[in-house]
Parts: sequence; C-alpha cells; structure tokens
Amino acid sequence: MIPVALGISIVAFVTMYAAGDPISLIRAGKPNVDQTTLNALRAYYGLDQPVPIQYLNWLTNILQLNFGKSLYGGQPVIYIIGPKIWPTIELQVVSLLIAFAISIPIAVNSARKPYSKQDVIVTSFSLFGVSMPTFWFGLILIIVFSFTLGWLPSAGAVGAAGFLWWGNPILDQIAHLILPVAVLVYVSLAQNIRLIRANMLEILRSDYILAARASGISERKVVYGYALRNAITPALTFLAIALGGMIAGAPMTEYVFSWPGLGRQYVQSTLNLDFPTIMGITMIITVMMLIANLIMDILYVYIDPRVRIR
Amino acid sequence: MTPMNPENNKPNAGYKRRSASQWAVAWRRFRRNKAGVAGLIIVLAVVFVGIFGDALAPYPAFPNPKALTPFYNGDVRTPPSSKYLLGTDVLGTDVLSDILHGTKYALYVGVVVTAITMAIAIVVGSIAGYFGSWIDNVLMRLTEVFLVFPSLLFILIFVRVFTLGAGAGASFNFLGISIPIGLTIVIFVLAVFNWPGDARMIRGEFMRIRELEFIEAEKALGASNRRIIFRHILPNILSSIIVVASLTIAYAILLEAGVSFLGFGDVNTMTWGQILENNFSDMRIVWWAEVFPGLAILITVFGFNLLGDGLSDALNPRLRD
Amino acid sequence: MAETLLKIEGLKTYFFTEAGIVKAVDNVSFDVRKGESLGLVGESGSGKTVTALSVLRIVPKPGKIVEGKIEFKGEDLLEKNETEMQAMRGREIAIIFQDPSSSLNPIFNVETQLRDVLLAHEKISKEECRKKIIDLMNLVGIPEAEIRMREFPHQFSGGMKQRVAIARALALQPTLLFADEPTTSLDVTIQAQVLDLLEELKKKLGMSLVMITHDMGIIAKMTTRVVVMYAGNVCEIAKTEDLYEHPRHPYTALLLAAVPRLDRKKKLRIIPGNIPNLIEPPSGCRFHPRCEYATGKCAEEPPVLEEVEPEHFVACYEWKNISLKGENH
Repeated sequence: MIPVALGISIVAFVTMYAAGDPISLIRAGKPNVDQTTLNALRAYYGLDQPVPIQYLNWLTNILQLNFGKSLYGGQPVIYIIGPKIWPTIELQVVSLLIAFAISIPIAVNSARKPYSKQDVIVTSFSLFGVSMPTFWFGLILIIVFSFTLGWLPSAGAVGAAGFLWWGNPILDQIAHLILPVAVLVYVSLAQNIRLIRANMLEILRSDYILAARASGISERKVVYGYALRNAITPALTFLAIALGGMIAGAPMTEYVFSWPGLGRQYVQSTLNLDFPTIMGITMIITVMMLIANLIMDILYVYIDPRVRIR
Repeated sequence: MTPMNPENNKPNAGYKRRSASQWAVAWRRFRRNKAGVAGLIIVLAVVFVGIFGDALAPYPAFPNPKALTPFYNGDVRTPPSSKYLLGTDVLGTDVLSDILHGTKYALYVGVVVTAITMAIAIVVGSIAGYFGSWIDNVLMRLTEVFLVFPSLLFILIFVRVFTLGAGAGASFNFLGISIPIGLTIVIFVLAVFNWPGDARMIRGEFMRIRELEFIEAEKALGASNRRIIFRHILPNILSSIIVVASLTIAYAILLEAGVSFLGFGDVNTMTWGQILENNFSDMRIVWWAEVFPGLAILITVFGFNLLGDGLSDALNPRLRD
Repeated sequence: MAETLLKIEGLKTYFFTEAGIVKAVDNVSFDVRKGESLGLVGESGSGKTVTALSVLRIVPKPGKIVEGKIEFKGEDLLEKNETEMQAMRGREIAIIFQDPSSSLNPIFNVETQLRDVLLAHEKISKEECRKKIIDLMNLVGIPEAEIRMREFPHQFSGGMKQRVAIARALALQPTLLFADEPTTSLDVTIQAQVLDLLEELKKKLGMSLVMITHDMGIIAKMTTRVVVMYAGNVCEIAKTEDLYEHPRHPYTALLLAAVPRLDRKKKLRIIPGNIPNLIEPPSGCRFHPRCEYATGKCAEEPPVLEEVEPEHFVACYEWKNISLKGENH
C-alpha cells in the first residue's frame, strides 16, 4: 500500500512539474510581471531547487501534514483542504451504502429471471444510467426539485445563515444531501447492478447451485445464501474501483451542487494552477482510496475463505 | 487424407471460410437483438447529423459572428419557440444550431480518442499478453494505479496545462477540414489516460488465446511470433476489440463533456459540454440550454452503449445451455 | 421381479434457446426398480443428465419439461407443487454431479454444506446435527471428520471432494440416487475407490442407484440393467449381461466396439459422424444418418421400443435382419 501511495505521489509530482514551472504558467496571461519578482517568487516557494530535491522536501513536509502554501493567496494548504475532507467523505460514504443496499435486491431479482420483462427494464435502465453524464443528471434534478418545485436546496452542504431547510440543523443537512446523493447513487447503481447481475447470472448457472437445489434447500436460501454470497465477492473487488469512479465523479457532482468538498476545491485549484493545493488533495484522495481498498480487502477475506487460507 | 480440391492446400482456407461465416452468424444474431439495432440506428443518425449538421443548422457555428444573429436581434435567453426551436442561450446563439454543430465534435472526440486508445492498448496489450515477463509486470502495475486512482484528476491538470499554450480559437487544417487545436489537445490527454484499462483487457484475451492448442500447433510447425500474433491471435480477439471500441467511444464523449463542463475545455469550440458550461451559472433562467445539449449527449452515448452491448451479445455469445 | 420405484413415461424436456428449441430429451420412457443398479449410457449430449434433472425437476432455464409422466412410488412428480417437490429432493431422490470441485459451494465449509441439507428436511438440534455430520463423513470414509468438517472444499483432494458430495447426497438416506458421471473428473486410481464406495453404500442403505455414464466399463462393473440413450431417445433397454452378449441396436453395438480391450487385439471401432443437432434432429430414427444398416423406413418414422425377448427392449426396425457382435464375439 505504501509503495502505491509513494508511486502515485511521484507520478503526480513529476506530472505537474513536467507540465512546467507553475510561476511561468501563472504568468502566461500576465506579461507585465518582471523577472526579478518571478525569481523572488520561485525562491519563496522553493521552486529554484532541482526537482528531486523539491520532491524530497515536499515529501518530508507532507509526512508532518505540512502541505505547503497555496500559490493562490498564500494560505497554508492544510487550511484550505482540512475543512473540505469531511463533506466529501460524508457524501461518498452515504451514497455508497445506499447504492449497495438498493442494487443488491434489484440485481438478484433480475438475474433470477434473466431476459424477463423486469430484467429487460432493469438492464436498459442501468445502461441508460451509465450513458448519462453525471453532472447533467444533477442539473436536471436541480431544475426539477429546486427551481421548479422548490422542495430541496440547489447548492451547498448547509443552509445559509438564518435559514434552515425543514427548520432543524439535522434535517437541513439531510435536505442538502438528498440531491447530490441521488446523483451519485444513480450513477453507481447502474454499475453495481450490471456487475452483480452478471455475476449472479453466472453463479446461478453453476453446479453447486444446481446441487443445492437438488438437495432440497429452499429457493430463498439458494439464491440469497448460496448464490449472492458468491456473487458479492467479485463485486467487492469492484466496489473499490467503484469508489474510485465515485471519487472521480466527485468533482462533477460537487461542482454542480457547489458542495464544499475536495472535488470542487480540486477543480478550482486546477483552474488556478495552484500546485501545492492540487498535490495536497491528490495525496489525501490517494490515502482515502487506499484505506477504502484496505477495508475491501478485510471484507473480502471475511467473505471468501479461499483468500483466507492462501 | 487426400485433399479434395486445390483450395484445401492453402493452409488458411478452412479457417478463413469459417471466420467469414462466423461474421454472418454474428450479424444474424445482432439483427435479432432489438436493443442493439436501436443502438445502431441511433449511431447512424448521429453520424448523419455529424456530417450534415452544419448544413441543417439555422445559424453557423459559434466563432463565426453570424452565429450571434439572435443576439443582434435582441433574442438572448429566449425560451423555445417556433423561431428558436430549442431557445437561445446566454450568449445569444441558437441552442438547436449549437447542438447540431456540436455533433461533429462529439464524434471527433469519440472516434479519435478511441482510435488512439485502441492503438496504444493493442500494441501494449499484445506485447504484454504474448511475451509476458517484465513488460507484463510493468503494464499490470501501471493499470492497477490507473484503476485505483481516479484518472480524471490527472486529466484535468494535463488539459489545463497544455491548453495554456494553445492560442484562443486556433485551428489547423486537415484534409481541408478545420480542426480546433484546443479540442485536439483535450482528445490526446483523454486518450493517454484511457488506454491502460483496454490494454489490460486485450492482454487478458491474448493470454487466453495464447494457451489454446492451435497456437501450440502453429508454434510446433515453426510459425514466427509475428505470424502467430497477426494471423492467429489478433483476428480471434477482433470481436472483443470492436465491442470495447464501441463502449470506449461512448465513454470518451461522456468524459469530454465532463471536462468541458468543469471549465477545462476549449472555450472557442462549442462542444455539447461547453454549451452546458456556458449556461450553467444562469441555468435557473435558461434551463433549455442545459436540458437539450445534455439530452444530445445522453442519446448519443446511449446509442453507442446499446450498440456495444448488442455487438457483445452477437460476437461473444454466451452459450446458454 | 422387483417392485418399480420410478417410472418415466414419454418424458419430453426441451430447451427454449435463441437458436431454437433443443429437444434434449424427447419421448423417453424407462423405469427404475427398487434396490437395483441401473446404467444410463450414451454419448455426451444424449440427454442422460437432463433426464436426471427432470426427475428432480431442477432443469435449468431455458429448459422445461414439456410432457410426460414421472411416477415415483406411485405418485406423479410433475403433479406436485414446488414445496412438495423441495421436500422430495435430497430426502427421497438425490444426485451426485460429475465434478465435485464445481458442485460444492466454494465459500462454505463442509459442515455448513451438510448441515444446510440436513436442516432443510429435519428439525434437529445443533448437537444432533453435528453428530450426524460426523457419522456421514465416517460413512463415506473421510478420516478425522471432526477436524475436516471445518475445512473448505478447496482444502480437499478431488476424491475426497467427491466423497463430501456423496455424503451430501446421502445425508437423508434417499431411496433413489442418480450418480452423474461421478468418476469422470477423478484420477484413475481414485475412480475405483469411489465406485467401490458407491456400491458398498448402495448395499448398506438399500437404495436404487442410477449410474449415468458413457463408460461401458463402469456399466459392466456396477449395473444390472442398462438404458442406452442416443440424441434424446432411448434406443435399447436390457439386462447388462444381455446387452453385452447380444446388443440389438446398431448404436449399442458400436458403443461396445469402441471400448478398448486388453485380452484381444482388435481394431477399435469409431462411431462415424457426430451427435446430431437437437434443434432439427434427423427425421425418423435419430441414429439413421450414422447407421450402416439404415433403410428408407428409418428416415421416415421414429421406431418405438419393442420387447424382443424378455426384459430386452429395442427401438430399431432392422433388429431382426441384422446380427450384431457383442463383447465376446
């Protein structure tokens, strides 16, 4: 895990510095900054040193949670990123759990009667789901539920000062979560259903399912006890990837709903070419992904004995 | 056994004939698949609009001042009407025209990203899958990083940095067609970050076919690596490549729309994502300028996905026994 | 003559695939007697397994039993509802599949898999259940049952896995056991052990055994009567000895001639052609395109089983006119 994190940090670092010296890049639109100022800026941010040294400096600092200073306003990066971590985790975890809870029964039912009417509807809907731009679905929800019906807030994670949705801080939080969660759930729902359904279809055809039926075990137990547990295992591996997909989708969703999370900050910082902040967010997202992967691995071992033994 | 006719003396005669009929069978299977056929029809319609969109559109494409005719008529942000079927946007351009012009960009993105992606993926995937060893190792580690880490984050940085140098509205001529440079840069970045997954798939297919007995037989007969790869393995995984290509087109169109929507696109090329971005902050008023271009993306991507699924069913039939 | 346990009459099980209707089992009739060992023999794809699955009514989709009667202990199984049928499976009729590594659920340990079967049919305490499982494992010859019951299928060897599968099938002492090619996927040395075990258990528990196989050697070793199937049809039913001595159906004769023998140097016969496409099977007798004795009539009307001597049935128009060689000729 640590090598992967290091690898990603090197890739990100090299990527960014291969792209160019941030100071000259920022200057690109502003020709009237003189060379001395630029050199002073470079020295201030330590950009005058060789790239490997810069990387090592950055790495030692980051291990002490010192992400450096933003090139855009000079604030310490940690102050910019810190408050944005929780909203992103909140959004992602809630969506992931809801998506899984919904997709399992739908996928199982449609796999039990493949090519039935219900199955065709479910598979077309999930194909439709993967064909829909995440952010556009968000836009539609905002147009319908916020602008037209006025039922839900269109932006942010909490109500503006003095105004709470549904009159209570907790309900207000929930009101703000509903639309972005709906978007993330719908997007991952489609993927989850397609994956679990495909696994279930294959497993329901396997000999041990036939054998379980042949020994008089009830259909319910065969489907949910025997088949589903086998189908979930590969789905779990995929869950880690799905999480990657969701985090990749996070910038879009957070941008659409002005959600004060890492994704929206990332978009903003990248537009500003604020490299220390970009690197900071990249590393935090990497660590989050790695933790998620670790959790998946633990679950995997719990579910599949073959992994446990090896 | 004596050959009945000279045809059989050619080593590949039987093989070729069989593969031709395989395609015929696949086509018959495909025709029966309503969803796949619907996808094909959508794709053909999109291609038609892509080619003739400029002629069909009531107004020319954006950087052309005539695109702003509604603006000069004072028709900015007008809702859909008989005059402007899908309304006009915040800039004062006709949304319908924008969508029609944007079709060719969507196809350009989809096709070129896919072509580059598949080219890299086939080369790397074949080498890794056929020769294994360290190439395979490096590739697998690399794709794992891409699978774990959301590549969109890298894509955004690259697009941002590389489009800095591109002059506003610059374009180059290719076979007499003017192609926007900014959009082309976006396309290359998308392709560069898109190939590892497909390479992994092709590697898997290669490894599967490589183990089959007829490859062993070919090797025993002294066939060269090149011959085995090009004559025997690639034709056998062609069907998988076609399916993946169709899905990659869909994915690339979606991705470009997202990148443009986030404000990283080529501002002078009105791709569908760009239209959405331009009108985003005013969408409370100009909802039509958000709904219809998005619908165009959805329909196009859905078409390619349906086609891909249909092809997958037709070309790699899972025997239902 | 022993009492009839299972009587299959005019069974038709079709698979409704995209490519067309596959007539996997088409008008099959035979019976299984109490306590006997019956062989069900034929090439792969001849409908042996589907026949067994039809009796248990677990034909996988898109397969469906279209017509026929399956009388078990005098009751028609096709008339029963799903709950009644569930109670029959495992308790009255059980099956062992070909490949134990795919027929055991990989993620449950042996104890759980055996317990699930026991608890599906009986309300017993945890302790009793455990005891039964240990007894079962001892019965099928798995040593150190108490330790091994906690292990997972992948920790067992092929032969041991098949023993576990047998234990599962015999958990409730069924009266009828289908063994679907139970040794095909095992090493040759293990095959004999498993066959001996099946024979011993059959005697011990007094059940009827239907051996589904394509191996004429196993038929000779294990069975007293044989049903020969070809392309979804029954072509011959006879006592095993009779069948080996005087096969009446040309297909049976070819099957016998395809068995290698050490005691004489004879060229092995291959059966020309392939098993037919069951979507559009050959008209008349399904074997006629591959049959060297076929006449015009064979292509027109499918022959029916007729009793040519006591206990010997054959579905062939030409049986009188041809003399076929059996094992000892």
